[in-house]
Amino acid sequence: MSDQVRITRRGLFRGLGSTTLIAGCRPGAPEQQPPMPPPDDPHARPQAPANAVGPGPAPLQFTLNGRPQTLEVAPHVTLLAALRLQLGATGTKVVCDRGSCGACTVLVDGVPRNSCMMLAHDVGGRSVTTVEGLARGEELSPLQQAFIRHDALQCGYCTPGMLISCQALLQRKGKAVTREDAEQAIAGNLCRCGTYPHIVAAVLDAAGRTG
Amino acid sequence: MPDDNKTTLRVGFADQQRDIEVILPAGEPRPWDARAELAVVGKPHPRIEAAAKVTGAAKYTHDVLPPNVQHAAVLRCPHACAVVEAVDVAPAKSLPGVSAVIALVKPGERLLFAGQDVAAACAATPEQAEDALARIAVRYKPEPFVVDTARAMEDGAPVVHRGKVEERVTEGDEPGAGGSAGQRGNVRTSPSMKKGDAAKGLRAAKVVHEATYTTQVHTHAALETHSIVVRWDGPKKATVWCSTQGIFSVRDEFAEVFALRPADVHVHTEFLGGGFGAKFGASAPGSRMGFIAGELARLAKAPVRLVLDRREEHTCTGNRPDSRQHVSLGAGPDGQLTAIHVRAHGTAGVGTGAGVGRNAFGIYSKCPNILVESHDVFTHAGPATAMRAPGHPQGAFALELALDELAARLKLDPLELRLRHNEHPVRAHQFERGRKEFAWDDNRKKSAALRAKQARVRRGFGVAASIWGDFGRGKAVVATVSVGRDGSVEVRNGLQDIGGGITTVVAQVAAEVLGRPVEAVRVRLGDSELGPSVGSGGSVTTASVTPAVRAAAEGVKAQLVQLAAKQLGARPEEVTLAGGAAKAGRKSLAWADLCKKIEGEAIVATGTRPDTYGHYPMKFMGGSSYQIAGVQFAEVTVDTWTGVVGVERVLALHDCGRVMNPLTARSQVNGGVILGTSYALTEQRVMDRTHGVMLNANLESYKIAGVRDVPRQIDVVFTEVHTGANNTGAIGIGEPATIPTAAAIGCAVFDALGVPVRDLPLTPDRVLAALGAVPARGGA
Repeated sequence: MSDQVRITRRGLFRGLGSTTLIAGCRPGAPEQQPPMPPPDDPHARPQAPANAVGPGPAPLQFTLNGRPQTLEVAPHVTLLAALRLQLGATGTKVVCDRGSCGACTVLVDGVPRNSCMMLAHDVGGRSVTTVEGLARGEELSPLQQAFIRHDALQCGYCTPGMLISCQALLQRKGKAVTREDAEQAIAGNLCRCGTYPHIVAAVLDAAGRTG
Repeated sequence: MPDDNKTTLRVGFADQQRDIEVILPAGEPRPWDARAELAVVGKPHPRIEAAAKVTGAAKYTHDVLPPNVQHAAVLRCPHACAVVEAVDVAPAKSLPGVSAVIALVKPGERLLFAGQDVAAACAATPEQAEDALARIAVRYKPEPFVVDTARAMEDGAPVVHRGKVEERVTEGDEPGAGGSAGQRGNVRTSPSMKKGDAAKGLRAAKVVHEATYTTQVHTHAALETHSIVVRWDGPKKATVWCSTQGIFSVRDEFAEVFALRPADVHVHTEFLGGGFGAKFGASAPGSRMGFIAGELARLAKAPVRLVLDRREEHTCTGNRPDSRQHVSLGAGPDGQLTAIHVRAHGTAGVGTGAGVGRNAFGIYSKCPNILVESHDVFTHAGPATAMRAPGHPQGAFALELALDELAARLKLDPLELRLRHNEHPVRAHQFERGRKEFAWDDNRKKSAALRAKQARVRRGFGVAASIWGDFGRGKAVVATVSVGRDGSVEVRNGLQDIGGGITTVVAQVAAEVLGRPVEAVRVRLGDSELGPSVGSGGSVTTASVTPAVRAAAEGVKAQLVQLAAKQLGARPEEVTLAGGAAKAGRKSLAWADLCKKIEGEAIVATGTRPDTYGHYPMKFMGGSSYQIAGVQFAEVTVDTWTGVVGVERVLALHDCGRVMNPLTARSQVNGGVILGTSYALTEQRVMDRTHGVMLNANLESYKIAGVRDVPRQIDVVFTEVHTGANNTGAIGIGEPATIPTAAAIGCAVFDALGVPVRDLPLTPDRVLAALGAVPARGGA
């Protein structure tokens, strides 16, 4: 296998060494730059700070669709993998697993993010909304209802990511949403069945009804 | 049962309708024809399963995680061609979490493409399975390879297959396609399609247009990758979840591989994340997924989940072959075609099926001399497989652009040239209707004016046609309809809904017959134990399934009517079921009260569909089914400074028999147009000639259309045709809708520029090269 030219994200993480990685996902300091080796010694490994997690599973707390979650997650696990494989929240889909298709989009503190490009520990203490969290109990959100009315879904596989991207747009712009806004919002979401025209129509419709 | 009976049907389209007499097989309900007045079928209805899809509740194969499931991963060959010298899986077995490891090759075996199965492992987590692969020791002896279609045809090129090639046929293939007429080196000749004498026709022509057109390898890129989950329920009994377009094809292949009785393999496909022709059988076209998952599960004594990643999906699960088509068209002085000759070569990698469809042979069939020759060129790349209208989009692109180039030389309107040679009355109607709705004549003048002015941003208008058959299958589907004592209505069938919307259409049919609201009908699909059904390939689903559902529903209705007649003291023929009640004259009985009178739990009936019994107004060649017509018009803008092509508008006029649900049918046509646009403008597999691997096996450099790349406006017009072919009159639309799009766009670009771009995709560099602004790139 060594002669195969192939770099995966997980492989890259492994290559970087777990200390670098773990240091970068200390809870409570998401904006801080990971510690780098001093410039005069490129081979030196940074020391793990006292509050670093890993290498084994470490406790993680965050809010998922309004409910507090407490679980043990290994530091290399993506938010997407934790949602699907550990929490059984399979509404969010894996399509490219490297940030190019938008299928795994979730809201993190209201901001749409590719959950395959975040580590689970990145959302410690934060609030995550997935497609499972858009309805209020049995009542579908205006956006979900508009998707159904306009047939903005075919196989349904891009739908969770599309809904989340569009929901973020509606929360930001409400009634003022234009066609260009809708296209901008889903510019990072790929669909293979060809639902785009109906999605744009659904978003504009939902914007009208949301206000 | 009554004998076969004769009935008169009103068939045809628009203002061209007539009565025909057909003999209906015993028990077959009288078909819904042009006179049928339907309350539910034919009306737009949102998908009944949509709520599950917008809430994340819908479970796809990727989402199936049985307790103690083991995650599988496959070690794939890194070389385009290599002989395995040694393979040792033992070091992987002792790693933490690893539950089984298997070798899939033996020493001495010759591997033929980068991505071929070598070994597999399963473990408690996906990462542990990946780690196990890294510990499997394989020694390869690399051999010379060829991944380039043109080079593979040269004398002395490395020969891909040393023996006879076995053709892999699936339900995704066009019926009647395939077969071989000999093989030499890497070139395998397909049976040609021939009418008259094309060589003679070309010699007799006053004007001959001759050029070579190329199209690229196109991958299906379904969002849900190929995936299978296997759980053994005993030594000879298994449950399989599979992302498939053909539940029974999975059952049968899995049973064959493990020597089981098909009835002991229970297959589930509740939801499917996209199927465009590559998802048939328990395995992928280039990976023995069914065997791998089943064998690992047997060894691990636990359920195994094998989910391919994006790279694997691009490299070993099939693709649309490329093509290199040499087209010769001959015309007489009056613009009458004297000959169409297409000589095509294309690569299906290590597989077969690189033909270019029926477009050149079947659409402009007033041309007396036609010869279409196709050849598969073997290369060291993953096998192609059926992809949404296999062969047709590539064939349409070459033929239609060649026709436009000929028309330009003849100084003839390209639409006029097409109308003169098309024989299908529905297609003629579509051409004429499109001419008006697209303001064709005015628009072609506008584009000519912009060309004359040498404007920087040009506009162009093009038109192209599709051909497909009504391949609806008889005797393949057994649907069950039941009405319970509690008033519930349920339809059951072992069919998969791949996103076309069949679940809703099935509910509409049952609702129509029983006079119930669509919402009151529960549709259960996606399970092999719910009764025989078809695979969703060849655009057969709606045409095959809805007549069986209607027959079953009519069977239940007949019993309910008997029951109502008894309760109301009326004769059965006086009873109607509608508006929530059974009525006879002034007497009525509410649905719920009627159902309470059912003896036992429910009235249950099954229904099937006889073979197609009509094909008005035109036959598909080589069979007795109806020929489906379609036409698309495209408007493009081309920036002559940057070479960027934008698609402004597509007008798609299609025939799918009776339109069962205009809302979901329109979605399917949008999907066909968008896939075709993506194929026309951006998608292409790029192979590294030095290493023999695919360079863009991902979704960032394999560019499928995003929302800003699709036509600004897509208008869909259905020309409803009553063919008298089956009892609902439904025909499929999934495939025809994607056939003419790239061709129409190619023709529109020619109109905009005045020079043709003969290679797909129509990338900026090719546009600029056609304009002479930059040098052309090396051979495609």
